[in-house]
Formats: sequence, structure tokens, C-alpha cells
Amino acid sequence: MARTSERFPGVEWIGDTGIFIKIDEKRCTGCGNCLKVCLGGCFEIEKKLARIRSLDECMECASCWYVCGEEAIDFAWPPGGTGYRSDLG
Amino acid sequence: MPGRPVAPGTEAIWDKIMQQEYDVVVIGAGFGGPVAAKKCAGAGLKTLLLERSENPGEKVVSGLTIPIYGFLFGPPFIRDGNPPIERPVDGIRNYVIYDVKDGDIETVELRIPRPLSPIFAFGYNAYCKPFCTWEAEQAVKAGAELRTCTTVTDFIKEDGFIKGVLTDSGEILRSKIVINSEGSQGILAVKAGVRGKYPPQAISLADTYDYDCPKEVIDRVFGHTLRFCWGFDELKIAPPLGHGNGLMSWPYRNSIHWMQDQCLAMGDGQVPNLKRLFDEYHENITTQLPWWRDEIAPSAKIRARMWEGFEIFVGLDDRLRNMPNYTDGMILVGDAAGLESTGLCDGVPTAWFSADIAADVAIEAIRAMDFSAKFLERYNRRIKAHTIIQWAIANKGRWNLRKAQESHDRKELRARINHQFGPGILTHAGTPLVKSLLDAIRKDPLVIMKWARMFPRYYYNWEHEYSSEDGLPVGKQKKRSSTIGWVLFDSLVILFSPINWVIAFLLEPLAGAINPLIKVFRPVVELGLGVSIRMEPLFSPVTRWMIDSVKQANPSTFSVSK
Repeated sequence: MARTSERFPGVEWIGDTGIFIKIDEKRCTGCGNCLKVCLGGCFEIEKKLARIRSLDECMECASCWYVCGEEAIDFAWPPGGTGYRSDLG
Repeated sequence: MPGRPVAPGTEAIWDKIMQQEYDVVVIGAGFGGPVAAKKCAGAGLKTLLLERSENPGEKVVSGLTIPIYGFLFGPPFIRDGNPPIERPVDGIRNYVIYDVKDGDIETVELRIPRPLSPIFAFGYNAYCKPFCTWEAEQAVKAGAELRTCTTVTDFIKEDGFIKGVLTDSGEILRSKIVINSEGSQGILAVKAGVRGKYPPQAISLADTYDYDCPKEVIDRVFGHTLRFCWGFDELKIAPPLGHGNGLMSWPYRNSIHWMQDQCLAMGDGQVPNLKRLFDEYHENITTQLPWWRDEIAPSAKIRARMWEGFEIFVGLDDRLRNMPNYTDGMILVGDAAGLESTGLCDGVPTAWFSADIAADVAIEAIRAMDFSAKFLERYNRRIKAHTIIQWAIANKGRWNLRKAQESHDRKELRARINHQFGPGILTHAGTPLVKSLLDAIRKDPLVIMKWARMFPRYYYNWEHEYSSEDGLPVGKQKKRSSTIGWVLFDSLVILFSPINWVIAFLLEPLAGAINPLIKVFRPVVELGLGVSIRMEPLFSPVTRWMIDSVKQANPSTFSVSK
């Protein structure tokens, strides 16, 4: 089933991606860089550490992975046929 | 069959395992992957093209003008084919914004003048999904197997050699060689230790909008010309903070593609709050920029918003540029090999060129049955010897725009924009383009016939919204044929081909002088361009005649026999 978002028209999210971005709590310093660059609002800070809020509006750009200086973010592609897609890219 | 296990009940399993053996596995059906897959399959290799999404190109984000050199010097099947395009582009109009509220805005324009444009294009705009799907279809027609909805999770490694891939469903797909066109993030190559992760300063995040807009409004406001906007940081209008970032807007057929991009980190490593900045800039641009506010906004409606990171500046850092683009059993192409252009910020032509070279090397490796890094090193040599790839990835003009923004010097900002996206581009693009042109003529003097057909065919296809390889469009054209003209043209090209070959052979070593020459005569070149644009109204009957001739022609006159 495809999901859509009012905030991001023209885009669909297909199926169940599972949690394909993981945060290593031991490495995370809570700097918040991942929150700053994630336009999909996938992250939040809880108890001074970043955690995944929701991957429902993730566009798989991997910006979080690039800006994490502590290598606390493990980014992998979601399973085949799931996740973000658009006819208008 | 010798060596085949014959235990009862295992035949089907064995057959399945056998079917998982390929000569070549290509990862990713974006712009590059299908080019490699088509060439490998066409050479008779058992080729598998893998795509993680359901359809090729639907996870690719870009505002997209594919520059003309990609079509002229890239894969023949694209040059001679009918891919889906959104609009032929004749150039760029840059808005250098000093004060948006006072209307203190200058323009710098680089454009092919009419009557040459819009038939002779500077590039072609396209949506990624239809274009990549079309490419993948050509690969399948050549014999490649396309498997979508398949994410590669790891490589199969034996004795240090990559021998295939592992998919998210646990399948093992073995191959003699892997061509990795996984895209800019290069997650697989990084995890396999082949390449390193790029620093955030080298990555730009492209915040992209797509607007519905009536064709007649786009025709009137944009015509066939892109509009880019640049300015100082404090305007918070264009560009956002970062090295050479700006607002770019592309006219498509019935829509406008709009993109602001921003480095993930500044030079000092600080990560800006992009989530907040992008919203603020988008609001400012669409409400304050005069031509957008007055001419576009009343007719445009947002129909999509998405984003993607692209590795624009890796080519400027020796360490990043020299990260391996091959290893034992694998070749990397396009964005996955760090080949995003720093010049015009496009990645498609370099993906096409590198995928084409990768396929050649894969074919040679299979013939020699040698998949060692030592053998595949020839791929890197050819990439380094490719004039346009090297020009594209090493161009510092866009990066240096930042200096002008920091210096806050109007004259410098204008000069740098002119150098990068205005007529000044000819002072550094002249040599690679002329060299490639002469090189192509030297290799095949008859290529001129194919180029001459490509421009009107693409224009015809745009006018008639046509894209396919199955038969020619029918019913819309008046079937006015200009066969005699083409026969005459072809005869001349064939007659002069030995002379053209000699000219190309003799001039190619001298192509290095083009850039210095254009630098010396730059005022004359700029004056000439300016005058020809001013004189356009005089040529409007000729322009109309050219457009009508192409539009109403029998399209078979533009087709190129395969």
C-alpha cells in the first residue's frame, strides 16, 4: 500500500521499510546534526541522544549519515520495492 | 551433464542455482546502469540489471538538464534514439541579485541565438523516471535481464575478488564481474571498504519542487531558457549558504522544476539547520523574486517536493578524486565513482560516458578471463584520459563563487557567475568540447550525419510528445518530406569524410589552443553573442520556418538506421 504525505506532495512511500537507519547510542553525542539536515523530520532528541522518530517521510538521501561525525548512524537501503518513490524527480 | 549432482529431487534446485550465474551484474537502473547493461548484453554477455525500486529512475531526484555533450559524445543508442524529454533547452539566464526589494538585479545570459535555437539545443530537460525506464527498456531489448524491487545488501567475495551480490531476499547472484552504479551515496562500496565516505562539505542537498504550470505561460516566460539566481547570503533569497549554491529553475513541458541546494556543512564543519533554512528561502524566493512572484506564481501550483544529496565537490579534492573506481571483480561508474560534475552540476553525461567505458572493460575482462584490479586498471586510465569527464569533475568555478559571496564584491560575483554559467564558460569548456568533437569525427566521420538528425528528431519528439523505439509516430505530421535535402547533405558528408578525417586528425592536437584563444578574443565573442541575440527579431521568419519544417516533416527522415 502506498502512503502519501500532505507536506510532501508528488511522493509515495511503498510498503514496510522496517528501520533501515540505526543509531548507535554509545557513539551518539546528541549534537543534533541529523535533525538539522533531515527535511523529513525523521529524528528527535530524547534524553540528550538522537533517536529515530519515524521513517515515514524519509527520502533516503543519507544526509544524516554524512553529517554524523561520530559514525553513530548506520544507513542501509530499505528492502527492494519499499520506501520513497516519485514520478516527478 | 558432467559434474552435475544427480541426487533425486535436486535438479530443480541445481537449475535455479545455475540460473543465478551471470557474466555481469549491474547494480542500479539510474542513468548509468542501463547503458552498461545494454552494451554488455549486446556483446552477448549474460547480463543482470538490478534496481531497488519498482521502476527504474523513480528514486532518482534531480532538476535536470542533460547537457548536449552527453548526447553528442555519449552512448549511440541515446543519440540515435527517441528518449522522453520534457523540453529542449537553449541556454541559461542568470539573475545576479544584489537587492531584491529595490529590484537591484542584473542578468547574465548564455544562450544559443535564434534561428539556431531551439532546434539546436544546449541540452534537454527530462524527468528521471521516464528517461531511466526508457534506457532500461533498451537494455532489456538488447538481452539484459532487469530485476526490480531488489536491493543489493552486500557483495559475494572469494579470495579477495568480488564474485557477485547478495540481495535483501537472501539470494546469491554470482557474476564474473560487477558494475556498480548504485548512485552518489555509494553505501555498498563504502561498506565493502572499496571507497571512503565523503565529508559533508562535498555533499549538496538538493531541495526540489515541481510546479504544475500551463505550457503557454512557460513558453512565454521561460521559452527554452533555464533561469538561475545568485546573490549574497544576507538576502536569504538566493543562494543559501555554501559554495556556489543557488536557485535553479528548469522549464519542462507543462511544469517547472525548481531546486535550491546547500552544502551539508560549511568549510569550518558547521552543519546549518537546513530544515529551517530551506523553508525560509523557498518562502522568500517565491514571494519576493519579481519574475517568479509576478509571472509564475499566479499560474503555478506545487505538485511535488522531494530532495536528494549529491556529491558535487568530491572532484575538487585529490584524496576523494583518487579513491578507487575499480577493485578485483568490480568497476564503479557515474555518481558511485564520484563523477558528479562540479561545473554544470550534472551527473548524467559522466554516468553515460563511464558506464560505456565500464562495459567495454568488462567485455575485455571476460574475453581475457581476468578480473583482477590490475586488469581493470585500464578503466581508470580511460576515465582519466576522458577529456569531458575530467573537465566536468575538476571545474572549480562553482566552488569559487563562494569567495565572491564572502568578499561581498558585486563585480566579482558577476564575473564568477559569467565564468561559470555565462559566456565565460567558453573560456574553459571550449577545448574539451572541440577536442571531443574532433575525436568523434576522427573515429567516425559519418557521425556528422547522426548529429545532424539528432537535433531535429529530438525537437520533433518534443513537439509531438513522442518517445519510443517501436515504430514512428503517426497521424500528427503533414508528411512533408525533405528527402532530397538529406540525400544531398549525406552525399556531402560522405564525399568530404576523408577530408574531414584529415582535418580532425590534424586539428585535434591543436585543440588545446581553443581556451586561450577564446580568452584573448572573449570581448569579441561576448559581443558577437550579444549582437546575435539582439538581432533575433530579424530572424523570426527563419526561426518559424525552421520550427515548422521540423514539426511537419516526415519523422522517418530523422531516423538513424541501427
